[in-house]
Amino acid sequence: MKTRQCGPVLGVAAFAAGLALGMPAADAQKQFDGVTVNVMTFTGPQIAEPLQRRAPEFTAATGATINVITVPFSDLYTKLLTDWASGTNSIDAAVFAPQWGVDYINPGYIQDLTDWVAADEALQVDDIAPFFREFSQRYNGRTYMLTLDGDFQMVYYRTDVLAELGMDPPETWDDYLAIAKAAHGKDMNGDGSADYGSCIAKKRNAQSYWMITSIAASFLQSKGTSQGAFFDTADMKPLVNNDGFGAALDVYSATTAVAPPDEINLDVGDTRSLFTTGRCALTLDWGDIGTLAIDPENSKVIDKVGATMLPGSRQVFDRESGALTECNADLCPHAVNGVNRAPFAAFGGWSGGVNAKADDKVKEAAYAFFSYMSQPAQSNQDVTVGITGFNPYRISQFENLQTWIDAGMSQQAAENYLGAIQDSLNSPNMVLDLRIPQNQAYQQVALDTAIARFLAGEIDKAQTMATIEEAWTELNEDNGVEDQLAIYRSTLGAQ
Amino acid sequence: MTGMSSPALTWSEWLDRQAPRVMLMPALLILLAFSIFPLVASAYLALSRFRLEPGGYSLRFVGLRNFRKLLFGSEQYHFLGTFGSLSILDWILLGMVAGSIGWWLVATIRSRKWSVIGLIGRLITAIVLIGLTWIAVSVIGTRGGPGSLVTTLFYVLVGVALQFAIGLGLALLCARPIRGRTFFRVVFFIPLMVTPVGIAYTFRMLADMSKGPFSPLWQGLGLGDFAWAADAWSARWVVLIGETWQWVPFMFIVLLAALENQPRDQLEAAKMDGADGWQIFRDITWPAIAPAAATIVLIRLIEAFKIIDLPNVLTNGGPGIATESMTLHAFIAWRTQQLGQSAAVGYLLLFVAVVTCVSFFNFIVQRTRAHEREAA
Amino acid sequence: MSAGSDQVGQGKGLWHRLFEPKDLKSMAPVPAFLTYSALVLWSLVVLFPLYWVAVTSFKLPVQVNDGPDYLPFIDFAPSSHAWTYILVDVGADTFRPYINSLIVASVSTALAVLFGAMAAYALVRIRYPVKLATIAAFVGLVAVIITTTVVAGVPWPISIALGLAFFIFFVGAFDRRFKRAVGNNDILFWIISNRILPPVVAVLPIYIMFQQLRLLDTHLALIVTYVAVNLPIVVWLMRDFFAAIPIDLEESAEIDGASKMRIFWTIVLPLTRPGLVATALLVFILAWNEYLLALFLSTADAQTMPLLIAAQNATRGPQWWTMSVLIILMIAPVVTLAVLLQKQIARGILTGAVKG
Repeated sequence: MKTRQCGPVLGVAAFAAGLALGMPAADAQKQFDGVTVNVMTFTGPQIAEPLQRRAPEFTAATGATINVITVPFSDLYTKLLTDWASGTNSIDAAVFAPQWGVDYINPGYIQDLTDWVAADEALQVDDIAPFFREFSQRYNGRTYMLTLDGDFQMVYYRTDVLAELGMDPPETWDDYLAIAKAAHGKDMNGDGSADYGSCIAKKRNAQSYWMITSIAASFLQSKGTSQGAFFDTADMKPLVNNDGFGAALDVYSATTAVAPPDEINLDVGDTRSLFTTGRCALTLDWGDIGTLAIDPENSKVIDKVGATMLPGSRQVFDRESGALTECNADLCPHAVNGVNRAPFAAFGGWSGGVNAKADDKVKEAAYAFFSYMSQPAQSNQDVTVGITGFNPYRISQFENLQTWIDAGMSQQAAENYLGAIQDSLNSPNMVLDLRIPQNQAYQQVALDTAIARFLAGEIDKAQTMATIEEAWTELNEDNGVEDQLAIYRSTLGAQ
Repeated sequence: MTGMSSPALTWSEWLDRQAPRVMLMPALLILLAFSIFPLVASAYLALSRFRLEPGGYSLRFVGLRNFRKLLFGSEQYHFLGTFGSLSILDWILLGMVAGSIGWWLVATIRSRKWSVIGLIGRLITAIVLIGLTWIAVSVIGTRGGPGSLVTTLFYVLVGVALQFAIGLGLALLCARPIRGRTFFRVVFFIPLMVTPVGIAYTFRMLADMSKGPFSPLWQGLGLGDFAWAADAWSARWVVLIGETWQWVPFMFIVLLAALENQPRDQLEAAKMDGADGWQIFRDITWPAIAPAAATIVLIRLIEAFKIIDLPNVLTNGGPGIATESMTLHAFIAWRTQQLGQSAAVGYLLLFVAVVTCVSFFNFIVQRTRAHEREAA
Repeated sequence: MSAGSDQVGQGKGLWHRLFEPKDLKSMAPVPAFLTYSALVLWSLVVLFPLYWVAVTSFKLPVQVNDGPDYLPFIDFAPSSHAWTYILVDVGADTFRPYINSLIVASVSTALAVLFGAMAAYALVRIRYPVKLATIAAFVGLVAVIITTTVVAGVPWPISIALGLAFFIFFVGAFDRRFKRAVGNNDILFWIISNRILPPVVAVLPIYIMFQQLRLLDTHLALIVTYVAVNLPIVVWLMRDFFAAIPIDLEESAEIDGASKMRIFWTIVLPLTRPGLVATALLVFILAWNEYLLALFLSTADAQTMPLLIAAQNATRGPQWWTMSVLIILMIAPVVTLAVLLQKQIARGILTGAVKG
């Protein structure tokens, strides 16, 4: 592997230098003339649009043809896995969720990009926010993916509703519940019907397992990203059957009382449309609401939306004593005002990866394309375009408010939105999504099903926690506890 | 040039002699090509564990572990359901089912027309039927919760019955001397033309409680706080309504074609004789359409066991696992790399569906055809 | 059905006029009223969801999300944004799958109906005593192929050839000595049983098959697969239509010296045209709408329309407006086809009646 990478590294270095100097002259022999790269992602404008829009520019500069292939979002993961695992290898590169990365990296389907990134000055890798640079793009200390999008969850609130109630944005989950209770039943969009305090996507098999983790995060992780929020890094014991997770379940079910009656069947698309049409005071979501709420085609709450880092808790689960304990300097080193907050990087943000089995020239071209997409000149513009699903992930993207104001935000809203993102990204206590083999089975099946049954009243709180613990333990054993532990620790960079 | 006619002749002669083979072979070969490998490969998958590993993937043989997990282990609640306690009513119901099946067996033996293989078949049918009834009764009873098996059976049995009843009713109405027959025929056929995924999303729009077209009606009825999606049975019924909307046309179109093929002279003679509608239906129409009806029900039974799009899109299997069908169960496992688990669910589905369909074929479809032969 | 029709003679006046038909070809007012009410009611049940899809395709996202608006121009101002997006902005990405769907669905339908109708007719009119020994030999063939490929590691084309050789040898040498055979009904049941295995379980093996043949992402792969998937339906539906034909017609043709094939083409098929057309339409629809197999067997070049509809639910939730446009685009050709074929079906019945 090492020797084979030599060529590409030099090539990329030369190419990167070319880009840094401005585009190479058009008549010069182009570096990737005649190379075609098949890039797969999901159908829809969110990711495919910027790729397709930028592809001709890239072709003009380098000669490489970028062929963007799309499949339905719900089947992207399996489609890629099938193509690569079966050895068909018709896909040269893909933009996917980094959480899936482990299933592509471990079997060796995607290329180690560490050396290429190191040689690529135009990428300005130091401008990428530390969480994405150090954790999201990496696996086991090596870089395999290039971040194109910053994804993590925040709480959105209606500034007008909060002002009317005389309440501040939530700092803890108790604040969140208090606001939701106070606002529930009020008419918040002037249509004469009662609206809801809180809208959270709780539909099964959709996004609910991220939502419960967003709530549980601050009860479970207090000592920084490396501590992890899913398992004990000492022995791989699941952190789900304890008072911390129990407290999160209490919050989760309490929000149901101040929510739309069919919240159990709402996915994130539904909660977004409810929130942007002014029917909810609070919601839990990714960065997308920021741009959706300023889009006149979508929104009735233009300039009435505020964002804040995920609320936290004054009590956290102490792994040594096994009890829910009041925060202190030792237990919650990152707490502010005694509140431990843990923003959850759910899903992790769409990233580009390159098929290791593709031809060298194709791999180089694919990498160069992702690098081009991620470079500030391109991405700083793309993240402000509402139709794309690209959310900010570079430090320089917070510096220029003007692009956001041009996109339709008021100065104040832009400051608030970017401020919340920046707070989350700068948090040393950000929670990394689960990235061990079979993570889909852990989260999307075991956790998600148990939460759904809990919400439907099929099982109670204690049974729910016991069920998740049992299923996770079984999965650990199926996959080898030691193996899983080693991988879990390495994704967290834990020592 | 004269030579041309001779091979042509032999060619057509050959074709004629080989007609029985030539007519059946293409279909048979294609079906064989598509049935054997998938069947064998998924059988192996069901007995192994799939893992991604450096250099590709591995399949480790684990015996019946996947099946054990579904039937007795940690996935039992998911597949069979959570067993509750049986009330007296449940016991009575179970007793009635077992009793009538037992009586049916005894009657078969008494009839002296039985063979060993036939009896074994009936025994299997009886055991599976009683077993399924027992599972259904115990998971639906107090403190129980149906798993994907019973939910699927609900969709299949209730759904097919509903679709058949509505389809037959519409076909009978359309077979009458009405105006605009072409219009109704085409309109009634439309739901089948919509892609299942599209239907599922359409029904999700329609069933939306806050922005769907029926939401004002819903609010007006004072049901604004009731969410169909939060209650297990109402959610199952909503899925079933979508499924019925989609598949009534299938029943309708075939039954209508059968109705139009029925002997007209007999019909008219009967009408002349002053027979009433019910008599005509029972004595002429039903015998004429029974083979087609049995066929269509069998095909629908098979298809209904594979229901997936509606629960997947409408509720994603929720609330809890209430609307999850076996195919959806297999699909969710498959999507999360638990290929062995998924194939095991698939094989259990195959088992239940085959027993159901073989029983239906042997005891009902064959009977309608026997009738057909006698009539001919 | 017409509940009052046996009440003849109780009152010749109003009762009679309301419930008794004037002649055999018409209906009396009350049954007619009930019949039309039922038909109109079900038409509404069928059409309302489609109406809702149609109006949704002209709504802005905010209009969809903000609760029900029923009538364009009255409740909301229609916008063609979704249509523009699908037909113009991403027009090329819509057009390509559309053509693919048309090709795949029509070719596979033609082949499935052809092979299926032949097989169905053969199974109705010819007895096939497939010997149990032949089946056993076939199982042997499969076993030989599996052992040689999996255990001995022989490449699959060679092992298939080996297995076939064994099979032909066995059948040729021993088959005549065994008597026990299965009947046509068993063959029929085996045919339909091929549809029982859920596609989720079969899709990976089928993918591997086409990967080995290097046919992934081609129309051919989808066509062959859909033929295989829909054959059982054709065989089963056509079987009943063939069985309903009076056998004397064929017998007299046979006496005149017509071959089986000729009889099938010139006498049997025209007689069953309504059934044939209905079956073809049904199979076309099934192929037109298939999702899971299309997802795996196609990647870029051969993608079909259902994938596009499912794809409208991505990270931002279902895009109802564009999805509605696509649903309408997908129904349009099938409805047209149904309307066109409707006349065919009617004519088929008419000619059948004249001949009969």
